[in-house]
Amino acid sequence: MKDKSILASSASRSIGYILLIVATAAGLWFMADKFISGPIHEGTTQHVTWGIWVSGYIFFLGLSAGSFLISTLIYVFGVKRLEEAGPASLVQALGCLILGGILIVLDAGHPERMYMVLLHFNPTSVMAYMGLFYNVYIAILVVEIYFALRPRIIEKIQSGDRPAWLYRTLSLGSRRLDPESLQRDKKWLMVLGILGIPAAIIVHGGVGTIFAVAKARPSWLGGLFPILFIVSALTSGGALLTFLTAAFSRLPDERKLPLVRSLAHLTIAVLLIDALIMFADSLTTAYSAIPLPSATEGLVLFGPYWWLFWIVEVGLGIVVPIAIVVLPQTRNRNGWLGFLGLSVVIAMLAARFTLVIPPQITPLFPESLGAYDHFRYAYGYSPSVMDLMVFVGVVAIGMWIMLLAGKYLPLEVASHGSATEGDAQS
Amino acid sequence: MKKDKPLTDRRHFLRAGALAAAGAVAAAAGGLAAESPSESNGKIRYGMVVDVRKCVGCKACAVACKAENHTPPGVAYNIVKEQEIGTYPDVRRRFIFRPCMQCSTPSCTKVCPTKATHIREDGIVAIDYDRCIGCRYCISACPYGVRAFDYGHDYHQQRTPFEMQPSPEYGQNRKRKPRQSPVGNVRKCTFCVHRVKKNLAPACAVTCIGNAIHFGNLNDPDGRCWVHGEKLRTLLSAHNCIRLREELGNNPAVYYLI
Repeated sequence: MKDKSILASSASRSIGYILLIVATAAGLWFMADKFISGPIHEGTTQHVTWGIWVSGYIFFLGLSAGSFLISTLIYVFGVKRLEEAGPASLVQALGCLILGGILIVLDAGHPERMYMVLLHFNPTSVMAYMGLFYNVYIAILVVEIYFALRPRIIEKIQSGDRPAWLYRTLSLGSRRLDPESLQRDKKWLMVLGILGIPAAIIVHGGVGTIFAVAKARPSWLGGLFPILFIVSALTSGGALLTFLTAAFSRLPDERKLPLVRSLAHLTIAVLLIDALIMFADSLTTAYSAIPLPSATEGLVLFGPYWWLFWIVEVGLGIVVPIAIVVLPQTRNRNGWLGFLGLSVVIAMLAARFTLVIPPQITPLFPESLGAYDHFRYAYGYSPSVMDLMVFVGVVAIGMWIMLLAGKYLPLEVASHGSATEGDAQS
Repeated sequence: MKKDKPLTDRRHFLRAGALAAAGAVAAAAGGLAAESPSESNGKIRYGMVVDVRKCVGCKACAVACKAENHTPPGVAYNIVKEQEIGTYPDVRRRFIFRPCMQCSTPSCTKVCPTKATHIREDGIVAIDYDRCIGCRYCISACPYGVRAFDYGHDYHQQRTPFEMQPSPEYGQNRKRKPRQSPVGNVRKCTFCVHRVKKNLAPACAVTCIGNAIHFGNLNDPDGRCWVHGEKLRTLLSAHNCIRLREELGNNPAVYYLI
């Protein structure tokens, strides 16, 4: 992927679309199965009640919150170097929020009753607050995207771009492009950005708190998790934006490379803080040798999940990105910086798995194993076909959002050039 | 004790096929329930005193619970944990019967986003199946691992007449249907609240062959075990007693004599 869009090659594009259609169809089939057959085909157990769907939920929510917080650097704090990534980061935040939402709705045993969280709000439940602020956050995002894209949507209408109905709908009837209205847009973007900062932090820090207050699980318990979640969110959001900008942006080279480089450097900065927190947590827990939490660390550091931790999280997530920004051969290459973004995103997904799943594997009372002979009470967790295919389907939906947003939404800042980044991850 | 209600219970058990044996024992023993609790200090707090020295690990309690509450495969309200201590010839097995602890400051009710899981007046922690969204946060939060998610499994593809009987849980008599609550909900031991309402002790307590499970009102200074008649407070003061993971501050209502 030199400095051209990877969508340009037609042969690989056809194969890509076929794979994407198959993945989407399979994903939708298994999502429908959840509603038709209920939770019976899920791979979770009575010990590991939260599997790859919940891990995926916090991964996508983290991507969303991270992308949003990066957008506030532009719209609230006026960081000029990142300005061109503004609209894309907002659309990416919304796309990822939708993907996370699909996973968490499917994870519920009775998705049709999710409104009960707002109807019978439990003020002592962190999850209830997360549900409430999820809605607040999505509302802020939608309105902010409207103001970020409004002038360019009107330009599209005026230049007669198709599909006209889409741009007419998205403009909500607005046709003004005078300086006064543009100034009003900027003001709204700043106000919404300021409101959105606590909302994004409460939503994602709140998800960290859900785990942090579960006193039955010592590997989650403690004050570090909310902080880790927010820093991880920034890391993954920055990484995804780096990757998508490098891979899909059609900005001219002289504007694209500095943008990608700034995003990559931002990602590395938060990544280092993230790694510090992660190691501090893992190693102190392992050192304490208190049976239950250190059993979890044993599974992650030396047990069946060692490859996820050492190869994916440490190798792909820390060593490779740092090497890319340090080595003179790679640090100024758009392709390599894009790869940096992708490898950090993949590593963050692995980090979500090792954060959610291993702490549940070791039973609270080891003697419970064998007390009831059924696979739902067995030790360990392996995702079922349904678990995996729904996850694949969600990623595929993310790619559709990305492709469609890239094609139809005017995400570029200057009015020359055509559509650029989309959202979601690959 | 009302005479008509136990008969209904017995009828349930007599239909119980392979599980009927354990069930019938439970029902018969239920008929011997010592007395209903007096409410001398107002509030009732139902609890259990489990004499682990008397437990032989037969797991009749677990079977009786399954028969009583019609729980599906993969859902266990009570289990008997086993531990082997030492090596031959100095060896013994230790059994710990573990129902829901019915904590007075439970982790589950605090984290439930919809208040579906709540504490009743009598101290029993109950779940409103029609409100539970099946998020399973309570399972993650419960330090005793007593909660189980109903994935919708059945013992047989063609349900037996016993399996087609409604579950008497919470006195709601729900028939098991695909995707309908309690499938997709979190479930747990209720101290057989539907039996308690009829002045019958929980199925596990009445079926225990070692007389190890005592049930009654812990708040009553003169409260006696509904099954065996011992004064609960005397049992607790005369023996070494512990509660599981007391350091977490959940205040369980289940005491173990060790």
